[in-house]
Amino acid sequence: MKFGNKTPAIFAKIMLLGALNAFTVWCVPILISNKTWLFAIYFTISTLILDYIFLSKKRIAPKYIVPGTILLLMFQVYPAIFTGYVAFTNYSNGHFLDKETAISVMVSNSFAPVGDTTNYMQVAKDNIDGKITLIVQNTDGSYGAGTRDSFKALPTSDVTVSSDGQITKVTGYTTLSDDEIFAILDQFNDFKVPIGNERFYSVSDINAVELVEQNLSYDASKDQVTDRVAGTIYSPNNNGSMVSETGEEIEPGWTTTVGWRNFSKVINDERYRGPMLQVLAWTFIYAGLVVLSTFFLGFLLALVLNHPRMKSKKVYRTLLIIPYAMPSVLSTLVWAGMFNQDNGIINRVLGSPIPWLSDPWLAKFAVLLVQLWAGTPYMFLICTGAIQSLPSEVIEAAEVDGASPRQLFSKIKLPLVLMTLAPLLIASYAYNFSNFGAIYLLTGGGPTIISSGGIAGHTDILISYTYKMAFAAGKGNDYGLASAVSFFNFILVASISIYSFKKSRTIENMT
Amino acid sequence: MIVNDLTRQKPLTAAQWTKKIAWRHAIGVLAVAFALFPLIWMISASFDTIGSLSAQKLIPLHPGLENFRTLFGNPDQPYLTWLKNSIIISSANAILQMFIGATAAYALSRFRFKGRKLTLMTILVVQMFPQLLAATSLFLMLADLGKSIPFLGLGQTSALIIVFAGGALGINAWMLKGFYDTIPSEIDESAKVDGASHAQIYFRIILPLARPVLAVITLLSFIGTMNEFLITSVILGGNQQSITLAVGMQQYIDGQYNAHWGPFAAGALIATVPVMILFLYLQKHVVAGLTAGANKG
Repeated sequence: MKFGNKTPAIFAKIMLLGALNAFTVWCVPILISNKTWLFAIYFTISTLILDYIFLSKKRIAPKYIVPGTILLLMFQVYPAIFTGYVAFTNYSNGHFLDKETAISVMVSNSFAPVGDTTNYMQVAKDNIDGKITLIVQNTDGSYGAGTRDSFKALPTSDVTVSSDGQITKVTGYTTLSDDEIFAILDQFNDFKVPIGNERFYSVSDINAVELVEQNLSYDASKDQVTDRVAGTIYSPNNNGSMVSETGEEIEPGWTTTVGWRNFSKVINDERYRGPMLQVLAWTFIYAGLVVLSTFFLGFLLALVLNHPRMKSKKVYRTLLIIPYAMPSVLSTLVWAGMFNQDNGIINRVLGSPIPWLSDPWLAKFAVLLVQLWAGTPYMFLICTGAIQSLPSEVIEAAEVDGASPRQLFSKIKLPLVLMTLAPLLIASYAYNFSNFGAIYLLTGGGPTIISSGGIAGHTDILISYTYKMAFAAGKGNDYGLASAVSFFNFILVASISIYSFKKSRTIENMT
Repeated sequence: MIVNDLTRQKPLTAAQWTKKIAWRHAIGVLAVAFALFPLIWMISASFDTIGSLSAQKLIPLHPGLENFRTLFGNPDQPYLTWLKNSIIISSANAILQMFIGATAAYALSRFRFKGRKLTLMTILVVQMFPQLLAATSLFLMLADLGKSIPFLGLGQTSALIIVFAGGALGINAWMLKGFYDTIPSEIDESAKVDGASHAQIYFRIILPLARPVLAVITLLSFIGTMNEFLITSVILGGNQQSITLAVGMQQYIDGQYNAHWGPFAAGALIATVPVMILFLYLQKHVVAGLTAGANKG
């Protein structure tokens, strides 16, 4: 083999590094301006490290490992740590913003009409910069031109008014027809013209504005929001909201750390404790039953279909692994259709509308049956492999000693296979422990546990429970609480993995 | 089993066959029926022009392609776009995952450097914290990143691809390192003598030798991504134009089993057949990959 020309490789390397640096130079200032410090720092440092490693002649091993590691840190390690952080915050519906933004939203949302003043207005376009401008007739009869940022008085002589009081012409502006206004109507949703003194003209009709006033004002030195009309004072509470003395809150709140509150909610609050315990128990039982049932069926099939005199073993094997080869998302949804209470094939065959997916026990059974279907092929494959590699001397010796087929099975074959497959069985347990799709796509976690306020269901496992806490529509996107439960899930899965590594002695193979 | 060579040659009598073998076939046939029924039912539904769950028969009374037409002709739920997204995301991810894993594994197998054991240990520990469980954090993180870098934001296929690439190192590096360890290092040495750089050894010697293993890993990653539901739905969410087949089909059928059953089955069939054929074609390698872990213990 010839290893002469290295120019194309060097060229490719320089192009890639150039692209990386260009990307960093472009995005870091944006990240900084958005105050996303962590990523700004991470991108900068990563790029510097990569530049150094790839331009250096010596750092050979890091060239192969560091790029993957940088991605790993950002998208696997950081999210895991961030989960831990979010678990200690009130990140949820109504608490998405940082404090500064939340207060400015509060203040700018607090408009209330002043008296009952409606003024005539005509939409126009500034002839110089093309900006949409409102030509407003003030209460005292004078005119002004207002945009979102400014309001300036117009000499009355600049404005031509028709006999019915409509503004038809304004010097320096082009008035828009009703049709033209309708075409850009959505621009007026939030159109407010500041006229000073915390007062604004707010568009109330296509040719009218209303005088409104900003009610709330924020005093940074006292960290208080004051309602100037009602005189109420709002102070921050420890849950990221501004609250009055009578307990009235202003929307929105902000994100803040809340200590162990999410954890104590899960442990002490009755709405969460009961369902949480139920979900937790079912997660363990579910994963255990799936591994047991699929292993036993897979093992039995492997024994039965592995007789030396049997023909067409290969055909059976190919057909039996088909469930494993089908995309599981789709096959689970097909099963859900087959279990459909009113029209599913299973109930049509049985001739009665059995509530497979809406009865707590039947739904559990259905979930297990579908996983038995989906998981057996894998177990069948690995058991077949394990049986074929059983030491034949041992089995022959046992047969010579007069072991019955049953003894042969329970005393020799099963223990040997179990020993070989133990690491894979534990891995399978860990996999099923967080097999989101198996639950969510079949039952959606349901039927609902009533005491849980509609979030937890009888077939929910931890991961589907957290998903629903965080993302279920209309149930109040509580990311903080969901992260607390995820955190817990992380610990359980990690414990299972540690146990599995010990079993399989992976670490000893680390040479 | 005492089956010496003489008896193995002797054909079984009918009575013996019935006693020893027949019941095995009976169980095998039952198991195959259980395994295949959902697939058969899906195929039947996709060609049944009535297209509803309640009226479907195993052998369609009115076979036709109506369901496929309905499926393709729905601009609000663009099946073909989902399919395209799935193929793009899965291919990109399969290649990235394979490449990142294969590259790191090469260094871990061939170079002795400071921090090597630490790296191996770290990868092992990181594996204990699957990305899946951090779906909520990933969502919040991308919501934040997307404000500055649009293509790394929610609803972007590019964001999803890079998130999955982040999980790559943890998945395959260990397994591939084990495989590389079995390639004799004399091969590298002689190439080095011929003047090959480390990169040339990697790209022109090691990667080609590992081709079968890499093909299986790529295939499994491809299928895995096709099947990924949780992170995909959290990140791509409601953007009908960028979601994958798995997420789209779930939204399509959710709560609409009777009305959408036929077209759904048609869509599931289209997505299932190529994956299944590939899988069965590479069956031997896939099985070898699966059982690799078992022989270690």
